[in-house]
Amino acid sequence: MHPQPLLEVDDLHVEFSTADGPVEAVAGVSFTVGAEETVAVVGESGSGKSVTALAVLKLLDGGRISRGQVRFDGKDLAPLNPKAMRKVRGNDIAMIFQDPMTSLDPLYSVGHQIVEALRLHRRVTKRAARERAVELLEQVGMPDPRRRLASYPHQLSGGQRQRVMIAIALACSPRLLIADEPTTALDVTIEAQILELLHDLQREYRTAMLLVTHDMGVVAETADRVVVFYGGQVVEQGPTAQVLRNPQHPYTAALLAAIPHPDSAKERQLPAIPGAVPALRDMPAGCRFNPRCAMAWEACTHEVPPLYELPGGRTSRCLLHREGGGSAVVAPPAPPLSAELAPAGPPLTTRKGI
Amino acid sequence: MIEYVVRRVLYGLLVIALVTVFVFLTLRLIPGDVVRLQLADAPGVTQEQLDARAAALGLDQPLITQLFKFLGDAFTGDFGISFQSQQPVTSIIAERLPITLQLGLMALVISIALGIPLGLLAAYKQNSWLDQSLRVVSVAGLSIPNFWLGLLLVTYLAIWFSWSPPLVYRSPGEDLVSNLTQMALPALALGVSGMAAIARMLRSSLLEVMRSNFVRTVRAKGAPERTVLFTHAVRNSLVPVFSLIGVQVGGILGGTVILESIFAIPGMGSMIFQAVQMRDYPVVLGAVVVFGAVFVTVNLVVDLLYGVIDPRIRYA
Repeated sequence: MHPQPLLEVDDLHVEFSTADGPVEAVAGVSFTVGAEETVAVVGESGSGKSVTALAVLKLLDGGRISRGQVRFDGKDLAPLNPKAMRKVRGNDIAMIFQDPMTSLDPLYSVGHQIVEALRLHRRVTKRAARERAVELLEQVGMPDPRRRLASYPHQLSGGQRQRVMIAIALACSPRLLIADEPTTALDVTIEAQILELLHDLQREYRTAMLLVTHDMGVVAETADRVVVFYGGQVVEQGPTAQVLRNPQHPYTAALLAAIPHPDSAKERQLPAIPGAVPALRDMPAGCRFNPRCAMAWEACTHEVPPLYELPGGRTSRCLLHREGGGSAVVAPPAPPLSAELAPAGPPLTTRKGI
Repeated sequence: MIEYVVRRVLYGLLVIALVTVFVFLTLRLIPGDVVRLQLADAPGVTQEQLDARAAALGLDQPLITQLFKFLGDAFTGDFGISFQSQQPVTSIIAERLPITLQLGLMALVISIALGIPLGLLAAYKQNSWLDQSLRVVSVAGLSIPNFWLGLLLVTYLAIWFSWSPPLVYRSPGEDLVSNLTQMALPALALGVSGMAAIARMLRSSLLEVMRSNFVRTVRAKGAPERTVLFTHAVRNSLVPVFSLIGVQVGGILGGTVILESIFAIPGMGSMIFQAVQMRDYPVVLGAVVVFGAVFVTVNLVVDLLYGVIDPRIRYA
């Protein structure tokens, strides 16, 4: 699709050291994000999606990249020293986080925190930086931006704080924006506004976006491509519309089936995925999804499925593809989740914490 | 804001009044009275002479009358005449208060100037041998009574180095070196527990802040560690530490009573010590009112400064 992807995550492994020895939270993840492209990373809690996002900027608290590469613009970030890494953070790659209520320093004004982001990477006077901060606040849709510079985080609502976080992230016009569940802590109407804002600003700034979410509705609305995580691995990836309409991996299919459908929500009980994401310490042998998979058979319990390349630039990690059957897969048919059907935002509820 | 200050001052006055009443009553429960202490051992004292002495000191009145007289006078700044020296209590206090304020301030400065770097160091070197030894020092500092530490310091400095601090008080104007040498040990003894408390509180507070989301945001901006630490983390972690200072002032004021006596410093503390021994009620009560006022004022100032560091604090 693009000649050279902006971000190439290649066989990434992330390890956390615990009292009982190292634990691998991300086990050989590969995906790419092209320039100006939006890629969504979806999965349940504990699937390793947030850890992967943090690993790109090496912001892991207590964890480290144990293997693999994170190439940005062709250059591997994994071996960079802290000083070189600081030049990337906030400058080439910026990040916004899940919880806007606690992501801003309570003791400093909004203006200070935006100006700080600017002046870390740009040689500008304080005065010019403040002018730019006003402009940024205006762009993120903050009412009365000049007066808001002096506001403290506790004086703002959750949505406004997330707008400030976005302003901070965009301060140095990064080429990649990593958004780790940017709307999870917000209520649904605000969520739609923030997603739209991100989308608009992404175009304006010509920024690529790596969007981490557990919400298929968000994926459907925003992403060009989607990467599905399970148990620290990528199980499926491909263009959003195709993956949502015709999932190739049983896990993706189950995730989509667990979304309530406007017409049938009252009559039928939502199919939930039985069980829970296994603990990192005792991942099942074979396919990591096999204990919860409705389609698993004997081979799935001992054979590790590779990522099968499928037509249309898609991949899927399931033994069902071995016979060369392509898309001979996957029941049950997912409810159509095209843009027409989900225009007003994300589904009202999602089951089982996906 | 002004309303808040006025309300706090009124509460403060109420607190001082209640403490004064409490101390007034407990003083009278201590066995032995001032007249007997002054005259008892003199041979051939008659009951009439004892009664006359009591009447001269105003002790023949009913207790409640004495209490209200004291409270009324105290409100106008008159604490009466010392039973012992026959001087106005107000002028005795005026002479001694600056000495105790100097000692207390030195103790406070020691506890802050040592406690903050030690706490930062312990957090920065978390779980290292340095952190572990600082933990032991802190727990010891919190557990050792200050008067015992004071005694220990004088005793061992005398035994090991044949050195003892000057035992005659000189004001800073007269002889600054002598003054500071005399004050140093009691100030240290008074400051150690505060130092330990600040170091412990700061350590845990900083470690908590370092794990918080906004610190991650600062790192994600590409800030160097010194900005993360000093601009953001330390400032946030000092907020709870700050509230310790008001509490410490109470401990320091209380500690001066014994420590000034040990180190022969003619401040409020040694004055209270002697006055209690001699049942010199007006002096004890005057000192209690003044200490109460200092404590209430310091805590009010701390609470107001709180709002300067932390914009979330609102006064209502």
